[in-house]
Amino acid sequence: MGSIWRRVTGKRRPEEAVEAVRRRIEGLRDLVERNNEVLELIAKAGEMLGGEYVFDRNTLATLAQELEAATRAVVFDLNAITGDRYPELVDALKRADASVRATLESRLFVPEADVVMPLEDVGEELVDTVGEKMARLGSLKKLEGCRVPDGFVVTAYATRIFLERAGVAPVIERWRSGSTAEREAGLEALSGELRARLLAAELPKELSRAVRKALEDLRRKGGDGAVAVRSSAIGEDGELSYAGQYDTRLGVAGGEVLEAYREVVASLFSTRVMRYRQSAGLDAAQGLMAVGCLAMVAARASGVVYTLDPADPLRRVLQIAAARGLGRAVVEGSHAVDRFEVSREAPHGVLFRALAEKDEIWAVGAAGRVERGAIPAAQRSLPSVSDEELGSLAGTALRIERFMKAAQDIEWAIDGKGRLFVVQSRPLRLAAAAPEAGRDLAGMERLYPVLMKGRGVVACRGVGSGPVHVVTGTEEPDAVPPGVVLVARTSSPRLAAAVAQSAAVITDIGTSTSHLAAIAREFRVPAIVDAGIATQALRDAGEVTVDAEENVVYAGCVRELLDEQLLRRATFSDTPEFRLLRRMLRKIAPLNLKNPRGPNFFAQNCATYHDIIRFAHEKAMEELVEGHRLVPRPGDRSFRRLELPVPLDLLVIDLGGGVRPAEGPGPLEPGRIASGPLQAIIEGLRTEGVWATGPADMDLDGFMSSLTRSEALTDQMGTRPDLNVAIVAADYLNLSLRLGYHFNIVESFLSESRNDNYIYFRFTGGVTEMTRRARRATLLRRILAEHDFIVEGSGDLVIGRVKKIPFEGMVERLRMIGRLIGYTRQLDILLRDDRSVERFVRSFLEGKYDVVSGRDEEDERRRRGTR
Amino acid sequence: MRGKRRILILDDEPIVCERLKPALEKSGFEVETYTDSQKVIDRLTEEKFDVLVTDLKMQGPDGIDVLRFAREHAPATKVIIITGFATVETAREAMRSGAADFIPKPFKITQLRDLIVSLTGGRTD
Repeated sequence: MGSIWRRVTGKRRPEEAVEAVRRRIEGLRDLVERNNEVLELIAKAGEMLGGEYVFDRNTLATLAQELEAATRAVVFDLNAITGDRYPELVDALKRADASVRATLESRLFVPEADVVMPLEDVGEELVDTVGEKMARLGSLKKLEGCRVPDGFVVTAYATRIFLERAGVAPVIERWRSGSTAEREAGLEALSGELRARLLAAELPKELSRAVRKALEDLRRKGGDGAVAVRSSAIGEDGELSYAGQYDTRLGVAGGEVLEAYREVVASLFSTRVMRYRQSAGLDAAQGLMAVGCLAMVAARASGVVYTLDPADPLRRVLQIAAARGLGRAVVEGSHAVDRFEVSREAPHGVLFRALAEKDEIWAVGAAGRVERGAIPAAQRSLPSVSDEELGSLAGTALRIERFMKAAQDIEWAIDGKGRLFVVQSRPLRLAAAAPEAGRDLAGMERLYPVLMKGRGVVACRGVGSGPVHVVTGTEEPDAVPPGVVLVARTSSPRLAAAVAQSAAVITDIGTSTSHLAAIAREFRVPAIVDAGIATQALRDAGEVTVDAEENVVYAGCVRELLDEQLLRRATFSDTPEFRLLRRMLRKIAPLNLKNPRGPNFFAQNCATYHDIIRFAHEKAMEELVEGHRLVPRPGDRSFRRLELPVPLDLLVIDLGGGVRPAEGPGPLEPGRIASGPLQAIIEGLRTEGVWATGPADMDLDGFMSSLTRSEALTDQMGTRPDLNVAIVAADYLNLSLRLGYHFNIVESFLSESRNDNYIYFRFTGGVTEMTRRARRATLLRRILAEHDFIVEGSGDLVIGRVKKIPFEGMVERLRMIGRLIGYTRQLDILLRDDRSVERFVRSFLEGKYDVVSGRDEEDERRRRGTR
Repeated sequence: MRGKRRILILDDEPIVCERLKPALEKSGFEVETYTDSQKVIDRLTEEKFDVLVTDLKMQGPDGIDVLRFAREHAPATKVIIITGFATVETAREAMRSGAADFIPKPFKITQLRDLIVSLTGGRTD
């Protein structure tokens, strides 16, 4: 990669070279600052979704403007630093701007995608491609204890192509150009014409081919190939408010799926739906959907379950409607059905039952077709489901409610083998006004014992209840049962999977910016971090309730708080503002370009603001890697060699305020370093035992120090020198180390204002073969993660970042990095197997650094044994 | 001994009222919300409130009008201004007109709650 940096430093006088370094570092610092600004805005937007903030539509428009401006600055800085090497990033930015604006203006924006996707491959992140209904069903398919039929989704992208080919747009345009009265009068004709076009138009070949193949795959998984064809609307106010407006076809034989697809798509423009859109203040003729095709369940019984009574949620019961055969009677409300109310507490006893006289049954007959049959008189009043089945249905429904974090309206079916299937789940709309009488939530402290109050920081708002499960340092995260209140010493990212399934999380140590806190927010798990004494105070507490709003932990299960939260969520999370924010976030926050070594790490693949700034930051850092090939010349006073009591040559370039002036020329002693971050790292490097020099390992040490001793200043051979350089200012450090073949960058800003503080750590390479290098990377990832770094990268690349840590915490972590540099210097050679990784991680965390010198106990034993 | 502190909330964006009411009730306040500023002016003459939380820009009487009315007719009611168009000038104007405090949107529920608690000297007497 050609670098201006190299050209500049190669040709100009040394002072100018330093000036060039200064300019680039300033550009980089601006980029990092703006990069952090974007990350902060994204984080704030994410937090707003978590319910902490009060905001309105104007807030969202302002947020979008700020994001656009800050991201633009990052792109500008990168191109300034690199001499306009990334024009594609400017285009990516324009695309990201357009998609966010389209969202704000409620225009439909459909990302390119496959025309057909298997249901098991879709999830909430693909909601713009597969619609809300199928996105939810896809995530439920991955949820343990929840069976969803196999199937596939014809994506919104495919539907868009179909609509284009069918020539829908010109017809709508013609209608739109009329006066209000003409449009009203012409609505029915418009609907008819669009429908006729969609039924007559040829389907795109790639679409029919993909559907046929997906049907074959489905048949191979079992079943007779008949499917239910269901709409899954995109955007607008989602499928919640459109419930029942679009067509659904049940029992469609394989050969008729494409025709059913047309029919379902045509329902986008039914007169009823268009009038509905109009009444909601939306564009009548604007709509798009994905279409799900799910294997038909040969249902013995089916129906609907509400996890709460929508009219009176505080009764705390599940309501179940059931019919024999297919659920058509239940959903359409056309025939008498059995009704039950079931307790929300295990074992979910039946509290109420009303059995109907059921005289007919819809069932899946030959070739998967839906047929109507009569029920013999003697069987008409038998219950359609057993109490046991009601119990297991309740259990599954509540599991889904916990996962979705809101009351649910679920369609289900039980097949001939007694297997329970979930075929749809959506938020249940509850009566807005909950009964007020006797509700005094501020008085809970008088009713329930308070175990902990006002300790630590709320990282994710909410209320959760369950038995306390304390995690010690060594416990395998798999051993954590779901539904517990997870109480841990540190916010170790090892716990991520357990957090996602917990009722709430509390940690003694940790920050609200840690990876674990981000996971908690992602899964809306109430979380309190930095609570100091939780593992002690709650150890034997049993069942507790965590109120991560008022920051109180109560003994026992505080029903009042849990109910209130369930109601509140249901009443605000489907407001237009929240839906809009959620849609905006999907265009802004996902990070697709995680791995700089990945095959897609190119500017043109940046889809979101997050992608763009990540790409820019990485490329700016790479530019600095190039930059450190600069060669100081004899007599150049800008480069000062630091005198260290360890075998490490380090040249220091001061941008201002990073080095205290001295009287004479002489060497630069550590005491003269005024740069806070470098000072801390040097302290770490000088920690006793970290820089191993055991006599037993003289050879090894000699070998390594020949690599770590940079020969830059004495190089006579004309080969490229490897330099260890620290570019410093009073509050800033950019350290790049080339130790052997390792390349390590540490960049940090350290001040009293915690919001500005960050550490960026990047490591690549190694002198040994790939597996050992990867082990070393694993070790680094583990250790960094234990210190709250968010860690990324693959293979032998490690990127760790941490930010917004208070001064003392920063100094502590920088010292740790100093120790880590010394400790891992020669680890590759000692990392003989995967087990040794664990051993070295543990030793480091326990402060036993001299394992590296070969004097650790295990080696000692081995040595004694062989003697 | 008095009952709960009484809070009046005025914002023409329904979402703001929908969010604040349950959250402040949970914290032990009695809360009334309105999207129409005239109604709030009426309520201020009818009953006593400890705190009025009002948006600035609205149809009809705007936040400053409501603030001035409250200062004149219900001087014991503390007024907090919340706005999405926060500039130094609007803040100064609000404070000059007698607002007890000024919070730009978006804000954290806890931030408003803590402010109300400090203005009323506690949640309940």
